[in-house]
Amino acid sequence: MTELATLARPYAEAAFKRAKQTETANAWSESLLFLSVVAQDRDLIAIISNPKISKDRKIEVVMDICQDQIQDEAKNLLKLLIENGKLQLLPKITVLYEQYKAEDEGYVNVDLYSAYPLNKAEQSNYVAKLEKKLNKKVNATVLVDKSLIGGILAKAGDKVIDGSISGQLHQLAKRL
Amino acid sequence: MQLNPSEISDLIKKKIENFDANLEAHTEGTVVSVTDGIVRVHGLSEAMQGEMLEFPGGSYGMALNLERDSVGVVMLGAYQHITEGDTVKCTGRILEVPVGEALLGRVVDALGNPIDGKGSIDTDLKSPIEKIAPGVIARQSVDQPVQIGLKAIDSMIPVGRGQRELIIGDRQTGKTAIAIDAIINQKGTGIKCIYVAIGQKRSSIANVVRKLEEHGAMDHTIIVVASASESAALQFIAPYTGCSMGEYFRDNGQDALIIYDDLTKQAWAYRQISLLLRRPPGREAYPGDVFYIHSRLLERAARINAEEVEKLTNGKVKGKTGSLTALPIIETQGGDVSAFVPTNVISITDGQIFLETGLFNSGIRPAVNAGLSVSRVGGAAQTKIIKKLGGGTRLDLAQYRELAAFAQFASDLDESTRKQIERGQRVTELMKQNQYAPMSVAEMSVSLYAANTGFLDNLEVKAVRDFESALLAFMKSEEPALMAKVNETGDFSDEIKNGIHSAIERFIKTSSW
Repeated sequence: MTELATLARPYAEAAFKRAKQTETANAWSESLLFLSVVAQDRDLIAIISNPKISKDRKIEVVMDICQDQIQDEAKNLLKLLIENGKLQLLPKITVLYEQYKAEDEGYVNVDLYSAYPLNKAEQSNYVAKLEKKLNKKVNATVLVDKSLIGGILAKAGDKVIDGSISGQLHQLAKRL
Repeated sequence: MQLNPSEISDLIKKKIENFDANLEAHTEGTVVSVTDGIVRVHGLSEAMQGEMLEFPGGSYGMALNLERDSVGVVMLGAYQHITEGDTVKCTGRILEVPVGEALLGRVVDALGNPIDGKGSIDTDLKSPIEKIAPGVIARQSVDQPVQIGLKAIDSMIPVGRGQRELIIGDRQTGKTAIAIDAIINQKGTGIKCIYVAIGQKRSSIANVVRKLEEHGAMDHTIIVVASASESAALQFIAPYTGCSMGEYFRDNGQDALIIYDDLTKQAWAYRQISLLLRRPPGREAYPGDVFYIHSRLLERAARINAEEVEKLTNGKVKGKTGSLTALPIIETQGGDVSAFVPTNVISITDGQIFLETGLFNSGIRPAVNAGLSVSRVGGAAQTKIIKKLGGGTRLDLAQYRELAAFAQFASDLDESTRKQIERGQRVTELMKQNQYAPMSVAEMSVSLYAANTGFLDNLEVKAVRDFESALLAFMKSEEPALMAKVNETGDFSDEIKNGIHSAIERFIKTSSW
């Protein structure tokens, strides 16, 4: 995992710089998301990792799948990755690309874990609180995790703000 | 403290009542790989160097390598239950250990947990294991002695409070024996002792503890244990743990003595960790900073002045200096002092006590090589009477060594050479001393005085030790006032000199040895 991030970083950085230059950051974002889903497909992985199939043939197959779903420059990146035999980096590149994008546009992607589905008002309330705490705009994704019992848990990259019942129980257990 | 079950449940109830759950914010990472106690963690972007990291199952690790995408962590204790994908939390704390008076008389592990079965340690004080040594302004020069209790050392290689004196020698040359004697001799002096056992057999540690208990020396001693079966990380941090415990006494205007037994094994443990963390190996496969791990540790042994003590205790302790004296031990292989770690530690310390297998096997115990052993600052701290009388001893032995080799070839020796050799033989014999029998300043003074003034010259070499023990017994029973005075003042006035002289003459008349 660590090594993948190191390898993926230059690709993600290059893609983001190019996207910013051509002002197509959102289009790139969509293309990369699509590609990372494609790259995780099991049948495709089998083809890509088969040494008997030539690189040209692999490029043909992947291009066939993508067709018009992605823009031309993303296709170039795809070709480059297949040439270098690094297609498995795509999911990581996507994650890093999103990080660069978020950093540049001044917001953070936060995963909000809640024990039960949140309504709009609750969600915007939490987002406002998080924005105050993190001093940045928050782009929240709500996920439901029953094991939290109650409360919410926010994850922004490495940072975790734990306000869940299960987290408090853990704290209490440690104190005792 | 005994509690009955209802009291326990009351206590727990109270704790739950008072429990104030706050929003917990921390940084998380995930375990990528676990190899031989080294864990690689992805994420943890805000981890600090040396920070404690919390693993599932209540284990802790210490962050040592901070890299771009990952953190290299050494596990402190068990790591068998850690698996890939486990969540690791930052604690925001540098590794801390308990310190304070409550630790005296206890045996603890490298994290300060008691392992002697005597219950929990009653102290709230904690101190980080890595601290910067006192600055230049805070220090004071070494001018008070630490009596080791061995004639050979106190007379020729004196140790002062705040000094770092290396004990170096091959295996089985009595290095630990000197350290244990030093601890036993601190009974009643107010000097607190810390014995750090690194990478040793548990059986030998148990032996040390038993011996100290037998001699009533555990009451002023803390024993820090990282035995051979414990992880390399614990063996690596044990000296720093002991040092923090000693620094507590130093910073509170007291005197402490710490023994690191031994730093060679600590360097081995650190080499293991470094190689597993993939740090580049250097000479003898040690990492580049093996000098620094010892220099930063030994630099913390120091004497600090009264102002600094006052500042550190917030004015509670006034007019008292504090000191931490270190006796690091290094084990050499085949007498090779020019190996990497021995040369490093020799250059860091303020002198060394050099022990030799040859001397040990020929019955000279402690097997101190008087020629190669030095004390660079201890002379200023020596008790006056020992300094006066011990100076002659050193000279006698030096001249004897020079002549002894030469005398083996020559059959006819002139009068003065023969005398010199005979004096040397007797002084060498006198320097022998039994284990666990440290001597007071007065006892040493009497022995040394007898040697210096030639009272031993007419004795058989074999009779020297019997003569000495009989003389000391005589002094103890006949001249207790004089002995007490020497112990108290340490002066070498004419009165004391004449007192000792006439007492020895009286003893010789009894010829009872």
